[in-house]
Amino acid sequence: MNFSQVTLVFVVLAPGGVFAVFALLWLLGWVPTERVLGRITAQTFSGCVVALAVILWKLASTGDGAVVVLFGNWFAVGDYHFPLILMADRLSLPFMGLTVVLSGLIGQFSATYLHREHGFLRFFLLLHLFAFGSLLAFAAGSFDLLVAGWEMVGITSVLLIAFFQQRPAPVENGLRVFAVYRASDIGLLVAVFAMHHWSGTASFVAGLPHLTGAQVVIVCLLLLLAAAGKAAQVPFSGWLPRAMEGPTPSSAIFYGAISIHAGAYLLLRIQPMLAQSRLASGLVIMIGIITAIHGTIVGRASADAKTSLAYASLTQVGVVFVEIGIGWTWIAVAHILGHATVRTLQFLRAPSMLHDYHQMQSAMGGELSPAGSRLEDLFPKRAQLWLYRWALDRGHLDTILDRWVIHPLMQLSNLFARLDGMGLHRPARRPEEVAISMRPARQGGG
Amino acid sequence: MAGDALILTVVAISVPWFASILVAMSRRQVRVIGFMASSVSVFASALLLRSAPAGESLYEALMVLFSSLAAGATLIIPRRDCNPGTIGGILFILGSTLLAYSTQNLLVLLAAWILSAMPFCLVRWLRAPSWRPQTALLLSSIALALASALIAAQGHAMSIVSLKGRSPGGMVAFGLLVVAVIFRKGICPAHAWVADAAEGGPAIPTALQLNGHFGALLVAKLIVPLFPDTSRNLFPLISYLAIATALYVAIRALTENSPRRLLAFIALSQSACILAGLESRTSEGITGALVHWFVVTVSTMGLFGILRLLEVRFGDNLTASRHLGLAQHAPRLAVFFVVFGLALVGLPGTLSFCSQDLLIHGTLASHPLIGLLLPIATAMNAVSIFRLFTRLFLGKRRTGFTLMADALPRERWILTAGVLFVVLGGLFPNVIVAQRPAEEETVGQAIRAPRRPTMFCPDRANRIDGPFASISNGFGQHLGRSKGRALA
Repeated sequence: MNFSQVTLVFVVLAPGGVFAVFALLWLLGWVPTERVLGRITAQTFSGCVVALAVILWKLASTGDGAVVVLFGNWFAVGDYHFPLILMADRLSLPFMGLTVVLSGLIGQFSATYLHREHGFLRFFLLLHLFAFGSLLAFAAGSFDLLVAGWEMVGITSVLLIAFFQQRPAPVENGLRVFAVYRASDIGLLVAVFAMHHWSGTASFVAGLPHLTGAQVVIVCLLLLLAAAGKAAQVPFSGWLPRAMEGPTPSSAIFYGAISIHAGAYLLLRIQPMLAQSRLASGLVIMIGIITAIHGTIVGRASADAKTSLAYASLTQVGVVFVEIGIGWTWIAVAHILGHATVRTLQFLRAPSMLHDYHQMQSAMGGELSPAGSRLEDLFPKRAQLWLYRWALDRGHLDTILDRWVIHPLMQLSNLFARLDGMGLHRPARRPEEVAISMRPARQGGG
Repeated sequence: MAGDALILTVVAISVPWFASILVAMSRRQVRVIGFMASSVSVFASALLLRSAPAGESLYEALMVLFSSLAAGATLIIPRRDCNPGTIGGILFILGSTLLAYSTQNLLVLLAAWILSAMPFCLVRWLRAPSWRPQTALLLSSIALALASALIAAQGHAMSIVSLKGRSPGGMVAFGLLVVAVIFRKGICPAHAWVADAAEGGPAIPTALQLNGHFGALLVAKLIVPLFPDTSRNLFPLISYLAIATALYVAIRALTENSPRRLLAFIALSQSACILAGLESRTSEGITGALVHWFVVTVSTMGLFGILRLLEVRFGDNLTASRHLGLAQHAPRLAVFFVVFGLALVGLPGTLSFCSQDLLIHGTLASHPLIGLLLPIATAMNAVSIFRLFTRLFLGKRRTGFTLMADALPRERWILTAGVLFVVLGGLFPNVIVAQRPAEEETVGQAIRAPRRPTMFCPDRANRIDGPFASISNGFGQHLGRSKGRALA
């Protein structure tokens, strides 16, 4: 392994190593102080930033397209193998850079923000695990490894939504988000299998797997399902406001920066495939447009700062989807980098938004210009009312999901319970309450 | 060498049995006796595994795993449950299960089958809310006894090796064996007894008994080797039943509020995938099923162990219908629970990620319909296990009590060992997976061989049979691949 390869391995493994060491020590009874945690977090991510800068400098000086590390197979059975390949190329490097820089910043911010908060250690452990999962997903040289990182990001996301575990709402919303993630991840799993089955590999180090026209469409649609679920695109947007129950720093990095853009990264990775299929790219554009419109309308009726920021984020990700569908990949990458940075700042400032607003007004010497904030006035009064009602219920997406998916599933489950109870001499089983919350999401978090 | 193996096998089986008698008689130091006896089994099984030839170590590996779990069970079992009946039951189940794993004799297998079920026929031991566990175990034993009688009568032998490939007893014996598998494994529609047993029985011994996976054992040890042709043609039916069970039980678990029943449903759903994988006729599917066997066994034992510890600390009124907030009292138990739970449903970084990956690839290659349903069942199980975690451990702390112990050092070390197994197995899966292909060859050679035209499908060799054949074949063709390639 040359220096660049070792550096790449360090970048990916460092947060995972910190997580593993601290978790094991905690299980054995040692609890690190806040100061130790803060310092090690800062040093880890600073080291990662320097290491990434070295990789970038090496690539620029040698003119190579990518740093690739081949570890062989994680496991292999017959013709099937799970390759362990790390790759830092022009697409993954910006995302990796974004991850380590923002994770480090969030770590610094949280050391103060969550000072003496119950769960300080838990937050930092999950932050490291999240960074490890994200880096694994972005540096993966095969879709197999991407799945591992992808799922890790999902789990940490859910555990952080339920961070304030004393309140039932964050816990129930975490469960709901988990269900949506698991449902949409089925698309990713089946797509990876399909690639293995049709082309014998899911590695993209030497280009995307070779597939025929129909196969490309199927794989793209399956991956689009996974990307839309992760990026909260329509029809999966209902989970995003629920995710705002988590602490503000985690909302910033997950739903303002990294996690929300992971779906876009997946689509960017398969962009050459998308370009082959008009159906798939058309669908990406359509979903992007619908989500952007949905996000901007619902965001205007949101009552709290974090939820309106989340919907603003959703609108921008919708636009990014459109850019990817059209084929403007580098515009999409630049859009993601800019958007993620600005949105993280906005999320982190959300708790002091009123203070900032007053400061800005003082600096301006009067009211801020309301330009663009009353676009709905362009619609007739009747349409405005309808839109308002539609926005208040967040596009009825959760209602539709509850009525057409969750409720029938729960009824089926209760029917099975009654069938199981047949022939027993005990009181008939009372239909249980719906397991996955059908209550509207509570707004705002900590 | 064979003599040494025989001595080790006898030691591994007989020491727990003698210890169970000793425990029943002396009624003192039951935990120490139980742990010592199961440790002897672990040691003897490990020596057996070490001396086993490559590719024939599946049952030895299972013996090591099961005896390790029994040793862990004797340590983790709460003081309240640590009585001669429970420890004796654990040791008795251990001896019977090791006997079933190690034997190559039909009669001995039948005896082990019946013996392992015997504790569950004692009303004082199993306080199940229904008659179903006893009935299911009785019916499975009767079916196996009838099948054994038929096989012995027509095959004129009791040795499984000498009966291999002869289809003794014909379709009737095959059918009876399948019935035995359905009742013992809890395949739909005979699934309900598993939850009843989990709810009414002593938690840890019941989990140990269910994790013997006698149904899968019967498939791998008896049905496939003895009835290769019939298996090739009718196995898809079992596969469809297995995946139907996985789905049915996964849906059923969504609204279940009794933690024990919920865990039993999830474990049943995940273990049904083992049968689907065994039948997949692909290297990936069979290897995935064998690895999944290990994962399900360790994870469900860990989960039931933690649940019992919570019941002892919190009271038997644990429920998943409201938030109990136990993580504030027992954060380490919460972490162990979530790791074991997510390890059961394919968390990356655990061994089940690898086994699920292989299972899904294998089953999708042979039966696209089953392969598509498998991740759906797993996703629902993941939601159910996460729901149970959130309801037990998260939410507002109950004010009715002030103190509850977290994992004690004794419990912590055992649970850490389990977590390390699933996590290190996930980080270095090749250590475990690399052992399985040769065993997969042993288990799967009969199933995976190219099909010959049979009376069931005279002109459609290498086609998927079963009730959903048209859907599966149609989907397979739609995907633009040949079935032959999947079978290759």
